[in-house]
Amino acid sequence: MSERQKRIRNFSIIAHIDHGKSTLADRLLENTETLTSREMEEQVLDNMDLEKERGITIKARAVNMKYKADDGEIYSLNLIDTPGHVDFNYEVSRSLNACDGALLVVDASQGIEAQTLGNAYLAIDANLEIVPVINKIDLPAADPDRVRTEIEDVVGIPAEDCPAISAKTGQNIVDVLKKVVSDIPAPKGNEDAPLKALIFDSYYDSYLGVVVYVRIFDGKLRAGQRIRMMNTGAEFDVVEVGYMAPFGLQKAEELSAGEVGYITASIKNVRDTRVGDTITTAQNGITEPLPGFKKALPMVYSGIYPADGAKYDDLRDALEKLQLNDASLLFEPETSAALGFGFRCGFLGLLHMEIIQERLEREFNLDLITTAPSVIYKITKSDGTVIYIDNPTNYPDVAEIAESAEPMVKANIITPVDYVGGIMDLCQDRRGIFHDMKYLDATRTELHYDLPLNEIVYDFFDALKSRSKGYASLDYELIGYKASKLVKLDILLNGEIVDALSFIVHEEKAYGRARKIAEKLKENIPRQLFEVPVQAAIGGKVIARETVKALRKDVLAKCYGGDITRKKKLLEKQKEGKKKMRKLGSVEVTPEAFMAVLKLDE
Amino acid sequence: MKRLGLYVHFPFCANKCPYCDFYSVVGYKNIDDYIDALMLQCEDYAESVSPYAIDSVFFGGGTPSIVPEKYMLEFIDRIYDKFNVTLNAEFTMEVNPATVKLSQLKKYRKAGMNRLSFGVQSACDKELKALNRIHTYGEFEKSFEIARKAGFDNINIDLMYGIPEQSFESFCDTLKKIVALSPEHISLYNLKIEDSTPFGAIKDKLALPSEDVEYKMYEYAIEYLGSHGYNQYEISNFAKPGKECVHNLKYWTCAEYLGLGTGAHSYFRNTRFSFIKDIDSFIEAIKDLDDDTKLTDENYTINPEERAGEYIMLSLRLANGINTLEFERIFGMNFEKMFVDLLPAYLENGFMKKTSVGYAFTTKGMYVSNYILSSMLDFSSSIDENIANGTDK
Repeated sequence: MSERQKRIRNFSIIAHIDHGKSTLADRLLENTETLTSREMEEQVLDNMDLEKERGITIKARAVNMKYKADDGEIYSLNLIDTPGHVDFNYEVSRSLNACDGALLVVDASQGIEAQTLGNAYLAIDANLEIVPVINKIDLPAADPDRVRTEIEDVVGIPAEDCPAISAKTGQNIVDVLKKVVSDIPAPKGNEDAPLKALIFDSYYDSYLGVVVYVRIFDGKLRAGQRIRMMNTGAEFDVVEVGYMAPFGLQKAEELSAGEVGYITASIKNVRDTRVGDTITTAQNGITEPLPGFKKALPMVYSGIYPADGAKYDDLRDALEKLQLNDASLLFEPETSAALGFGFRCGFLGLLHMEIIQERLEREFNLDLITTAPSVIYKITKSDGTVIYIDNPTNYPDVAEIAESAEPMVKANIITPVDYVGGIMDLCQDRRGIFHDMKYLDATRTELHYDLPLNEIVYDFFDALKSRSKGYASLDYELIGYKASKLVKLDILLNGEIVDALSFIVHEEKAYGRARKIAEKLKENIPRQLFEVPVQAAIGGKVIARETVKALRKDVLAKCYGGDITRKKKLLEKQKEGKKKMRKLGSVEVTPEAFMAVLKLDE
Repeated sequence: MKRLGLYVHFPFCANKCPYCDFYSVVGYKNIDDYIDALMLQCEDYAESVSPYAIDSVFFGGGTPSIVPEKYMLEFIDRIYDKFNVTLNAEFTMEVNPATVKLSQLKKYRKAGMNRLSFGVQSACDKELKALNRIHTYGEFEKSFEIARKAGFDNINIDLMYGIPEQSFESFCDTLKKIVALSPEHISLYNLKIEDSTPFGAIKDKLALPSEDVEYKMYEYAIEYLGSHGYNQYEISNFAKPGKECVHNLKYWTCAEYLGLGTGAHSYFRNTRFSFIKDIDSFIEAIKDLDDDTKLTDENYTINPEERAGEYIMLSLRLANGINTLEFERIFGMNFEKMFVDLLPAYLENGFMKKTSVGYAFTTKGMYVSNYILSSMLDFSSSIDENIANGTDK
């Protein structure tokens, strides 16, 4: 280990949502004087608006800090932030691989939650040194001793002398910095060996091209080098290397083994810089990439259509721009009889889907219509061929299906004991298979279920929260396919099937869901000139029906003293209102109707 | 000689009705100043109106009947003095049902007025109270008698349906009582709750009849009034034969009319314009007629395409509907071709019917006419360009 390496610490902070990860990061930046409190905007590391609003990290970020320790030496601390949501598990694991240690932040009153555990296991898998930190000790309900025991019992790591802090008030923050220096190992690696670097994040910048965040394991990286991405095979000439400052990039001569930094190389597309890929030199490089690379694969698909058909090109441009920064977003053109031209989009999970939709609407000013999310079904046809279906419209006729299978997840739910009954009912209702229940302590339990992903993508998370007053937490991972009796439910308006509203559902649940959807649609279809029957059907057999009564009254009785303009304005306003409606065959439907059918849990 | 309707707005009320969003003011002190301003406006328009024969005069409000008799008579004189009012012109004044005096009405009748319009709304006192009207039905009956005595043989009664507290039965009763009085003309308006009114603010708390009950009332009224000699000639208007309102028909046939006074609307020489909605500013602006930007509110010329749209919108209000040959003659456009995508569905589903000369709404169609017209017509260009920018004289 070189002298330089001895004074480097690469670490991340892992925590459940709301346990104070971002606030702690802010305090560390302040205490190391990387930022003055005046420069300090709230939660510097989360710099997407959406992240601030939701209090979660969507993309990983990294920042370099200089810290003068008690031994008088100046240490270079690299804090690598990780996304905090199950949708981004793969990103989390790659970010952790760039580190040598992790701070495990646990709320002093809430204790361990599902994501604390999920992320802690990822960190343990990555062979990281874990430093527990108990946060929020300023809260009246704080019980650091109980949480300390819980960490030792549940996670299985010593927590006797772990820092107990309040990131909010700044109390004991220095203890954390001391622990980082004393407990987290310095990076190893040979500066003179061939280059071996891990990509743990990247983003597109319109001036620099793709900026790639890397951890150097062996060798050196400097401008002018020709490098190769080992999994994608793409080669580039390095233009610039440097460190991540909180408000931008700080150019440097070179990055060497043990360091964390960025490179630019006139890269046009983030698809060439996949998170988890290994960088080496084009000539005389290493032959074995770092283990664990995989392409992040979408788990959830939905159709995204512009509310105004004329905005199709704008939508494509917007998706392309988002994809520059998000290689896990997939999209391809799709046509729906009901909605016209749009895109079938693949997402890592529901949160990812919501984030993309919100960004399209906010950052690109698009009005969207989104169809119900679908998972990928595996269908074995009678002739033995296997097909994967991510769009209910393409679901084959029952007669052609030998076996249908749906993706399953292993779900880990942590909840206060009081809510166990309600949550077990919910899991039961969502076709969950119970595995076991463990008491974490006297008040909290951990439940393990196998659940169909199809049951989670609708509103499971909301339902879980509402049944536990917000206390239960969920973590899940995909475990494969399971044969299941699935049917395609079609929705008919005025007797015509609306392809965009069809979806796949388990046979036993079809009736209940059909009824609820018919009711929801009825609320979202304005009265029109004729009565509109709303029907739900399986293979032509109607199983639920509602009726939107015909409009009876829409008349301007009086022409106010010859004020014809007023009447024209009124008609014009009405015309505008109608333009916002989506015409499905002969029926006008509010754009909200497509989303309303998703929220079915009361 | 070309014909012209003359409207005059009197923005005074004894009491503001909570559903009304017309421009009017309660307790205005300087009514004489306003009448003076109207007189000046008559003079101002005397020349441009000189090629026209005025065949209808309509005093609307507000409540024109609360203007002191002396001023009113002077003003009527000024109209006859400045404009060419035809001998048998229809001359209407809107009247508050509780506040008429025989002597006053006699004088007005003698001065040329020949038609009265009572804002009765309902024959049920509970409903009148819900509307915060200041009259009772009994008071109206007396006023009606006085009007007849004063020599008015052409009287309209305004009624409403969809009133808070109103039931189908009470509505039928109102119709029965009104028909028994045998007025020449009945207007039946659906109460529309406008957001800008006091009723608008408490919309959800009003005990309004349901849409279905309202439709039943409307359907019943058409039938009942029809069988008692009142033909529906427009969405909201019923008259004994030959007693259709000349003035209102001008609105629906795209004929020209000039509206004097604050907030009054005109369609004159192919331009739609209105005067500002504020009595004091109006009086002030009249003093400086060289600069009429202060006086006018909206002001825009109608292009032929827009006029065609208006013609369709307005003529379809009439029971006789649109005369397609006439339409083609005026605008050079073929009505059936314009709406080839829409007409068949409207006909098949009973919203429209074919007449001997064109098309008309059925009762069912009239009742949803806004919905249908907003599908047929497009006024976006004029609304955007002309109205948003205000004046473009």
